[in-house]
Amino acid sequence: MIFAQDLRHTYDGKHFALNGVNFSVRRGEIFGLLGRNGAGKSTLIKAMTTLIQTTSGTLRILGMDPARDGQRIRNRVGVVQQGESFDFSTVQGNLDIYGVLWGLPKAERVKRREQLLQRFGLDDVRKRRAFDLSGGQKRRVQVAREFMHDMDVLFLDEPTVGLDVIMRHTLLDSIRSEAQRGLTVVFTTHNLEEADYLCDRVAVIDEGKILLLDSVENLKRLYGGKKTVDLTVSGADVPGFFRELGNRLASRATVTVRGNEGVILSDETKGVLSEIAHLSQSFGVQLEWLNVRGNTLEDVFLQSVGHSEGLRGTA
Amino acid sequence: MALPNLFRLIYRNIRVNTDPGSLVILVGLPGMYLIFFGFGFGSLASADGQSHAYLAFLAPGIMSFQVLLAGTVGGSMLWADRRYGMLSQLLSGPFTRFQYLLGIILASVLFGLGGAAVMLVVALGLLGSIPTLPFSLAVMFGTIVLGSLFFGGLMLLLGALVKSNTTYNSIQILVLFVVNFASTVFYPLSNSLPFVLRAMFWVNPLTYVANAVRGGYTGSLTAMDGYELLILTVEAVVILALATRAYLRSDISFE
Repeated sequence: MIFAQDLRHTYDGKHFALNGVNFSVRRGEIFGLLGRNGAGKSTLIKAMTTLIQTTSGTLRILGMDPARDGQRIRNRVGVVQQGESFDFSTVQGNLDIYGVLWGLPKAERVKRREQLLQRFGLDDVRKRRAFDLSGGQKRRVQVAREFMHDMDVLFLDEPTVGLDVIMRHTLLDSIRSEAQRGLTVVFTTHNLEEADYLCDRVAVIDEGKILLLDSVENLKRLYGGKKTVDLTVSGADVPGFFRELGNRLASRATVTVRGNEGVILSDETKGVLSEIAHLSQSFGVQLEWLNVRGNTLEDVFLQSVGHSEGLRGTA
Repeated sequence: MALPNLFRLIYRNIRVNTDPGSLVILVGLPGMYLIFFGFGFGSLASADGQSHAYLAFLAPGIMSFQVLLAGTVGGSMLWADRRYGMLSQLLSGPFTRFQYLLGIILASVLFGLGGAAVMLVVALGLLGSIPTLPFSLAVMFGTIVLGSLFFGGLMLLLGALVKSNTTYNSIQILVLFVVNFASTVFYPLSNSLPFVLRAMFWVNPLTYVANAVRGGYTGSLTAMDGYELLILTVEAVVILALATRAYLRSDISFE
């Protein structure tokens, strides 16, 4: 359904937002793009939805070239953008107008609109202006609106931002159910739990490159022998403590530090704990929180992105 | 059968811009101009025994004023769609950039024609006379189309170039005020005006629109109206070309 080979894109001629991206997505697959802000996820979505033409490389959507067949591709895809996008109308009006834009006959339009208002819990706010809704409600309108029309591929750019837990699962389950009917889904997210819950495969993207690409299960297995140590410390010399810890564990672990919190991935948990205990005394820091757990997709993500930044063994 | 893409976009543009608030601006404001100015200033003229003379003069002027309002609708649509994400949403749907632009321009023209028709009906209700010649009506509404194209293009150019809300609104209000009042919409061009002001009247396309519509309304079209419409046509083509160029080069969103 989607094929990308050595995809590169630069906005300014100097920095590459996409820097040699290769991947493919199969029919009916739910494909997750994980990455930090500015990693290149949205640029990739824009390229796949024909909003930008990449500087070089090969991209095929539904077997077509976005540079030549943009409109034909867009006729068969749906896009939920990262930012807000509404007409100055009510919730019901927004869905209705979108149905007209996609050429739905009136009876079908009304039927789908009513189903979607119910499914996404928007019935109570149908008469309210979309711009006046809360962040989560707006997001629901945007996603519901996209289901007004038929499509072969759905692109969702961080669709669950601002949604509460129940609505997030409603949305994710809706996506999963559509995928089971053959819809191919590409979505970006910061939330690794939902990628874990939903995706068949994920790609971790950073600085315009795909660092990892595999099924969620395989990625976890890849790091399966390791454990994660989470710790939170306080004291006068927290930076010094983490710096020294990173140096000592350089050959045995990956240390990622954010402020006074550290995440250590290692297959030698005993040795890590021993170093922590020893160094906390030497640097006079207090252990506020310490936890040892199995791996999650988040750890895989942190480690892969940490590698690309050269964080391994540093603090 | 589904409507072609362009008609769907026009439908959307009209539907989004015909909420009660927008209609008050589009039809209510010119209607109030016609009634309050028509009777208010008409009462001054009635001292000379011409009670309805000013209202009859103003009516085709207010019809012409609709092209300016229609233009602002077009520019605002583009600006708002860029600002509020609908342009990129629509362009990731089944539409081309050119179809989107054409959808706005044609919606502007329909707003111009619709507004002018409403004003004509109001004027007929107040004055009780009607331009009976089909040719006069054709000239009037043909001029409205040309004027809507020109001002639609002008405001689209603004919508494509300006990003800031404050700047966009300030320029739009300035254009509305200057173009409206430095034209023959509300009063005839008089030799008693300072030269600079007269020059502003003469280079103002709204003057050409108002003169031709008034000529059609009163059945007094002259060759001069023909020349002015020719100039207006050239200006509309130029401004639409500039607007299209600016739009195609502009970012589709403010991200």
